[in-house]
Amino acid sequence: MNASNYARWRLAGYLLFCCLILIFPVILNNDYLLNKFMRYLVFGILSAALSFSWGYAGILNLGQAVSFGLGSYAMAMALKLRTIPIQTGAKGLPDFMVWNDVKTLPWFWEPFHSYAFAIFAGVAAPMLLALLLGWFMFRGRITGVFVSIITLAMLVVVNLLIIDQQRYTGGFNGITDLTTLEVFGVAFDAYSANTYYLIAGALCVVLLGGLAITQTKTGLIMQAIRDDENRVRYFGYDVAAYQNFALTVSAGVAGFAGMLYTLVMEFASPTFLAVPLSLSIVIWCAVGGRSSLIGAALGAILVTGVQGTLSESPAFLDTWMLFMGAIFIAVVLFLPEGLIGLIDIGVEAINRRRARTGEDRSKRPAMTVSDIALERSKRVREG
Amino acid sequence: MADTLNQIFTGLSIASILLLVSLGLAIIYGTMGVINLAHGEFVMLGAYSVWLLQTVFGLNLLICVVFAFFLVAAVGWLVERLIVQHLYKRPLDTILATWGVGVILQQGVRLSAGANLRYIKMPDWLTKAVPIFGVDVSAYRIFIFLLTVALLALTYFLITRTRYGFRLRAVTQNAEVARCFGINAARVYSLTFAYGAGLAGVAGALIGPLKSVSPDMGTNVVVDAFMVVVVGGVSSLLGTVASAGLLGELSGLLAYLYNDTLAKALVFFGVVILIRIRPEGMFTVHVRRG
Repeated sequence: MNASNYARWRLAGYLLFCCLILIFPVILNNDYLLNKFMRYLVFGILSAALSFSWGYAGILNLGQAVSFGLGSYAMAMALKLRTIPIQTGAKGLPDFMVWNDVKTLPWFWEPFHSYAFAIFAGVAAPMLLALLLGWFMFRGRITGVFVSIITLAMLVVVNLLIIDQQRYTGGFNGITDLTTLEVFGVAFDAYSANTYYLIAGALCVVLLGGLAITQTKTGLIMQAIRDDENRVRYFGYDVAAYQNFALTVSAGVAGFAGMLYTLVMEFASPTFLAVPLSLSIVIWCAVGGRSSLIGAALGAILVTGVQGTLSESPAFLDTWMLFMGAIFIAVVLFLPEGLIGLIDIGVEAINRRRARTGEDRSKRPAMTVSDIALERSKRVREG
Repeated sequence: MADTLNQIFTGLSIASILLLVSLGLAIIYGTMGVINLAHGEFVMLGAYSVWLLQTVFGLNLLICVVFAFFLVAAVGWLVERLIVQHLYKRPLDTILATWGVGVILQQGVRLSAGANLRYIKMPDWLTKAVPIFGVDVSAYRIFIFLLTVALLALTYFLITRTRYGFRLRAVTQNAEVARCFGINAARVYSLTFAYGAGLAGVAGALIGPLKSVSPDMGTNVVVDAFMVVVVGGVSSLLGTVASAGLLGELSGLLAYLYNDTLAKALVFFGVVILIRIRPEGMFTVHVRRG
């Protein structure tokens, strides 16, 4: 199978997947299951976003949940302000602020009276944070494992801050009792097909848009940076700018996924930006296939789907994390490209068999100089 | 005056704990370029092993510390042999694999020892406060400080004055050439990983009595250790020591002015700004690494 053929098959795979998730509610007539499935798809978006920065640009962001959580809080803040006040004090203060003896609405809550601002902020705030962090890291030429531990440290710090600032964020409880989002007369209820289509549509846009970006020159340079950062730098490219681009886009998408998650769950909680969720994102991405957007999304849907079906028995849920850890290690050791990598392995095996049986062995082009150079550099890099 | 002195002692106490936790992490990273994300869980394991030995056999804390070292070192050795060893050519993947190990350890402890908080008793003679320059300092914190200094001296001795340390330095400088001279690099790696893990175990055993012991105690501890390693660079023990001292004093001061959480956040922002200015860490001499 040659390169253009491969790209065609891949596009077909993406389109097939998009069609499947879009017609899904027609087959399924169960609001409860639909809600569950929405959650899986949101995680799919989140996982695909990580694949964009990790699989395509080599930036393993262990703090992906920060973006997700910020998005979910932005949406929750806007919905909270529209909630019919039951226990609120004067001027429509959210209930937890009244309990914490806050007298006036804090200034950074004010703009969330507008949905437009909230939706903007849910994407822009994570992007801004990622951009800032990325500027400091990548301009300082921090790469590899250090990026991972710095993003992980940020996750822990932001999580602690949100829990600590209970007066403004609801602390451990998060922001609960939210109204339903209504835009242009369309209500996005947690159990309605509207919300499902919104989420499934978002996943399609993210997958196809992400695939399109990776095919552009920018996308190719990102992948080149992943493979050999210094070589790209010697070519005169601004490596930090491309890394920052990958991290920021990924954060924006994760923020959007967070907003959708609030719609599905009907609350926002500090667990949305806690270490276990961030770890899960990395696991989904690794299991599905880090360097494939659709692989990562499928990984998330598969893993959370299995977890969701089995979560009825609490005894199993306890051993689940144990099992997940083992699966994670096994995938990292033996299947670095994840489950989607099995397709590549299969295709390669077929190709090899074809080459062995067919007589076109002699027709294979001779190694060019650049091939030899590539081989050598690969050997050198592998020590 | 007494306030300032008190503050300095608090900072030193935090710094010694930081150093205790990050020493193992720094040694493992400095030698093989692996960030061990299970480090926090090794610390937790150390604390739990002490809890177990105390409740079942009623052993003294000091004896438990020695046990904790060997127990966690053994776990570290196993992890290196079974998993990490296969990933030296994929440094980013070692983070993932060790994270997976951390998950398994954490959940394993939660299932076997329960999710409740556990408490470790400190010896009676260490519960008192000792006056130093007119300031009352907890004897246990002085004990931790002295033990950290002793461990540091031991590590320094191990690296600079023993056969093993000689091999370790050779492998760190250039593993390929070291192998050519007949050094078994894989063995050195395993031993170093085990030693780093053992140090984490000691750290856990010692901070156990100060904080409550829970299966997820490792996460917070290890994040502080990351910051120490990022600030200190990895080329020398001295960098780690200086960085732990700096961050310890800084967190102590900020926690006094605001609160623990804000102190942590501010230290993190400081570290992020610092890496823009000195990406290789504050205390790094430029070295060429093979």
